[in-house]
Amino acid sequence: MQHNPELSIGSPARITVMQGQVYVGSGAPEILTTVLGSCIACCLYDPIARVGGMNHFLLAEPTPGSGTVADQNYGIFLMELLINQMMTRGGVKSRMKAHIYGGGNMHAGMTRIGDANARFALSFLADEGIPVARQDVGGDSARRVDFDPILGRTRCRHVEKYTAPAPKPITQPTMSGGELELF
Amino acid sequence: MSDTIRVLTVDDSASMRALLRSALSSRGYQVSQAEDGVAALEWLADNGSDIDVIVTDINMPRMDGFGLIEALRGQSRFRDCPILVLSTESSDEKKSRARSAGATGWIVKPFDADKLDTALRRVTH
Repeated sequence: MQHNPELSIGSPARITVMQGQVYVGSGAPEILTTVLGSCIACCLYDPIARVGGMNHFLLAEPTPGSGTVADQNYGIFLMELLINQMMTRGGVKSRMKAHIYGGGNMHAGMTRIGDANARFALSFLADEGIPVARQDVGGDSARRVDFDPILGRTRCRHVEKYTAPAPKPITQPTMSGGELELF
Repeated sequence: MSDTIRVLTVDDSASMRALLRSALSSRGYQVSQAEDGVAALEWLADNGSDIDVIVTDINMPRMDGFGLIEALRGQSRFRDCPILVLSTESSDEKKSRARSAGATGWIVKPFDADKLDTALRRVTH
């Protein structure tokens, strides 16, 4: 990918989006960045509101009807969280466009979890009617992604495999859900 | 009430609707779905007597979950129908607003299918 000079102007804060996290731009100059192996990062952008955000997830969704423990790493939850947080910053779902990165299959001979995650992300966006403006998924390399949430510009570089973090569950205790709170 | 619990889920996310339908159908629920508050009210106008519990998201276009709950509590036939909020939101301010609108309870996403099953059975029996 060609270098995007607009990403280098000034000295925006660099926000690292780790696995299991969602971050929506605050409106101040920021670059959201992450390193991906088999994980997926979805960058959403509303060009009218000029608001953008990124998530970073590994697992797609629980097996239907399996009753497995809900986990925020599930993409279906992190995608909704990203959309909702963008809406609270003025984003409109029908105007959003997506960039999808990651989904590398990092270990030969193992389950192609990267492909599965990429398929999930693209399927989710299709179901929600959010167009994919750009994607760089699959293959067997790691990626570093930089995203400017105000301009909606991304830079994706393929990097050495060892720089990608090993997939692991991320827990954010304040976000754990599923319990009924009766009023 | 029959043994089969009839649930209406209201969520603008097609992916979430599919996940809820799968999780609840496999546990014996009769599942109906709407994509926002307006669609839910339209469906309930014709089928309201066929529902035991409503599960609604909060952030939706046209009419959000708060508006839906307020509209339903304004109708005598839904005054006692259990309404659970299922949302990524977890702030006290939002929960307080839902409580004031007349919600029965609140569940924060991501949901666990077994816990949701337990919650639905708890508020319908």
